[in-house]
Amino acid sequence: MLPSSVAVGIPGVDLAPGDHVCVFYPGLAERNEILIPYLRAGLQAGDKCVCVVDADEPDDVVSALGPDVDLGGRLGRQQLEVQRSQDTYLKGGAFSTEAMLEFWDREVGGAVEGGFSFARAAGEMTWALRQLPGVDELIGYESRLNQFLPRYPQVILCFYELDMFSGELLVDVLKTHPKVLLGGMVLDNPYYLEPDEFLASRN
Amino acid sequence: MTVTAPEATRADTELRSQLSDLQCLLMLSMLMTESGDEGKILQLAATSVPSFGHTHLIGVRFTDGNWWGPGPAAATEGLRDEVQAQVALLDASGGAIAVAGQGWTWALPLRVFAGHLGYFIVAAAKEPAASEQFLLRVLAQQTGVALGNSRLHTKERSSAEELRAANAALAETVRALEQSTQIHDRFTRVAMAGEGQDGVARALHELTGYPVAVEDRYGNLRAWAGPNRPDPYPKDPQARREQMLRRALREGRPIREGGRLVALASPSAEVLGVLALIDPAGAVGDREQIAIEHGATVLAMELARLRSLAEAELRLRRDLVEELLSGTEEEGAVARAQALGHDLEQRNRVVVAEGRGRVKSQEPFFHAVRRAARDLHVGSLLVARGDSVVLISDADLPWERFRMAILTELGGGRCSLGVGGWCSHPRDLPRSYREGQLALQMQGIAHGKDRATCYDDLGVYRILCEVQDGSSVERFVRQWLGTLLEYDERKHSDLVTTLTQYLECGGSYDATALALSVHRSTLKYRLQRIREISGHNLTDPDTNFNLQLATRAWRTLQTLQA
Repeated sequence: MLPSSVAVGIPGVDLAPGDHVCVFYPGLAERNEILIPYLRAGLQAGDKCVCVVDADEPDDVVSALGPDVDLGGRLGRQQLEVQRSQDTYLKGGAFSTEAMLEFWDREVGGAVEGGFSFARAAGEMTWALRQLPGVDELIGYESRLNQFLPRYPQVILCFYELDMFSGELLVDVLKTHPKVLLGGMVLDNPYYLEPDEFLASRN
Repeated sequence: MTVTAPEATRADTELRSQLSDLQCLLMLSMLMTESGDEGKILQLAATSVPSFGHTHLIGVRFTDGNWWGPGPAAATEGLRDEVQAQVALLDASGGAIAVAGQGWTWALPLRVFAGHLGYFIVAAAKEPAASEQFLLRVLAQQTGVALGNSRLHTKERSSAEELRAANAALAETVRALEQSTQIHDRFTRVAMAGEGQDGVARALHELTGYPVAVEDRYGNLRAWAGPNRPDPYPKDPQARREQMLRRALREGRPIREGGRLVALASPSAEVLGVLALIDPAGAVGDREQIAIEHGATVLAMELARLRSLAEAELRLRRDLVEELLSGTEEEGAVARAQALGHDLEQRNRVVVAEGRGRVKSQEPFFHAVRRAARDLHVGSLLVARGDSVVLISDADLPWERFRMAILTELGGGRCSLGVGGWCSHPRDLPRSYREGQLALQMQGIAHGKDRATCYDDLGVYRILCEVQDGSSVERFVRQWLGTLLEYDERKHSDLVTTLTQYLECGGSYDATALALSVHRSTLKYRLQRIREISGHNLTDPDTNFNLQLATRAWRTLQTLQA
């Protein structure tokens, strides 16, 4: 049975299964203040946790989880997977919406098949600032992700560093995420645009 | 009018899009407020404009005349000048302006709670739809709010920083004041408890942690506190010491001299002492500087007090000695002497010292006698009288040792002593004083060299001095030496002196010639003249005895008459 709410690890902040949330943060320290409790809460709840980082290394995230989490066992049974952006979003030196959606399908779908009842994912999006092929598909990808989320019992957090992205891109990000985590609060965006609507409005 | 299904769907989509834009604006506003930095707010606002249509930002013109443009400053330099004059004519609600190459340009007001920050100037190829203009107006307004918050926050932060700096300065002042008070309290306790020079050194060492020396103005160590006291204590040459004192007096504050911080205890232009912090590394700071200044003040007070006491005591001693030498009321004198630590009810005698040091002033001689008397426990009642120093003493010691001690204190020069006879009562002291003076005068006649002479050891001279009737002695002298004295007076010769020396030398020609510094044949000639003029046979022992007694009596009379 699906949980009615998903604890993010931040007091007073809960999500619902199927949520696609954009997180805005000013720097790496503030990113960790959200990412680390989110993963720790997922591990403790027995969820499959998949995390893709860009600004630092997977080992940094694993170390930051702290000694009170039994990481040895969890990594052994693949409850926690921390990967780098160049091995996921930018695999092969370019971004592909299809490839990335397949990645999530493989990871989350595989986890569910493997016995996990719930999955929580996190992606650090600063890779989108690089001048690489396919990177301009970012907003379309974010929009398509909304169609992917209902397929499995999961939530996904997309991390955007405030100072790095332009207002125009941030507006598009806001339009494509049903929820926003900002300043320690989760804000609903009931008027977010469905993928078809967003893509149509862009065209 | 009938609305078809596709039209309804399109209208719904447009509505959702409009609502979504508004929702985005709300979140953008939160993001701008969250970022806090004015530059970031403007950057976020500027880059967001294209999201709401086909408009772009030209720049932001603030009411204080400042201009912010997206991208490099030079890129919007021309636009700024073009916009400046037009914007000056607008009121707070903004309005249309004209910019070359733009179909539509509008100055949107940046409103804040307290008023108006400036204009958010947007442009497009053609006039946007009303809904798009509405979104731009909201964006400008939210940008103004975020900028206002940011400025308020900056101002508050600046005020807080100023407050923090003021608090820190105040805390530092309070700390310095507390330290100063602590230093002041410590030295006040030293002064109140009369802990003296040792107390000053100890307090300064406790307050600073550095070894401390108290020196007199000549560089002699008077007190030390702390580890590593040098032994023997080093002393600078006099010239260098004087140079250092002059520099410290001139600067009027503690100075560094070698590996020390030095402060003068100098209540006036006169230096009474020196306080030194031993600091070879030159690490002392303000606190130590304040402490040594306080210490030097307390030391100056202490030394001035000691100096005043010493001067008062010296004056009391001098007055008492003067009175005793001229004869005074005995009971009162005894009591006063006891108060000064001297027992006049036991035997005392008067010692008269004459001499001088290498300098013209008699003061160094007085102090040399005073210090030698103190060190050898000869006595402390003394007074300077003319070129001599008169001392009342109950001591009995080899007086030549006392004389040598005076010369040592004097650092060279001359000194002779005349020691009067013992007195059982203070009333006899004037007599002992005369005896001391006579002993001093007689030693010149008898021996001719500086030495210590006791009146009691003068032998026949003492008897001659004490003869009550001087005329009988004079008659005796005339009887035996009258013809020679008359001859010497008439001819300005020295026959009596020659005879005197001949008899004192026991009739030895060689010794007499040497003593008189004349040739042996000259001596023989003079002796022949003496025999011829006086008619005395110088080979007769009785004659010689009477002649020698007469020559000594003659010299005694001369001394007494002088």
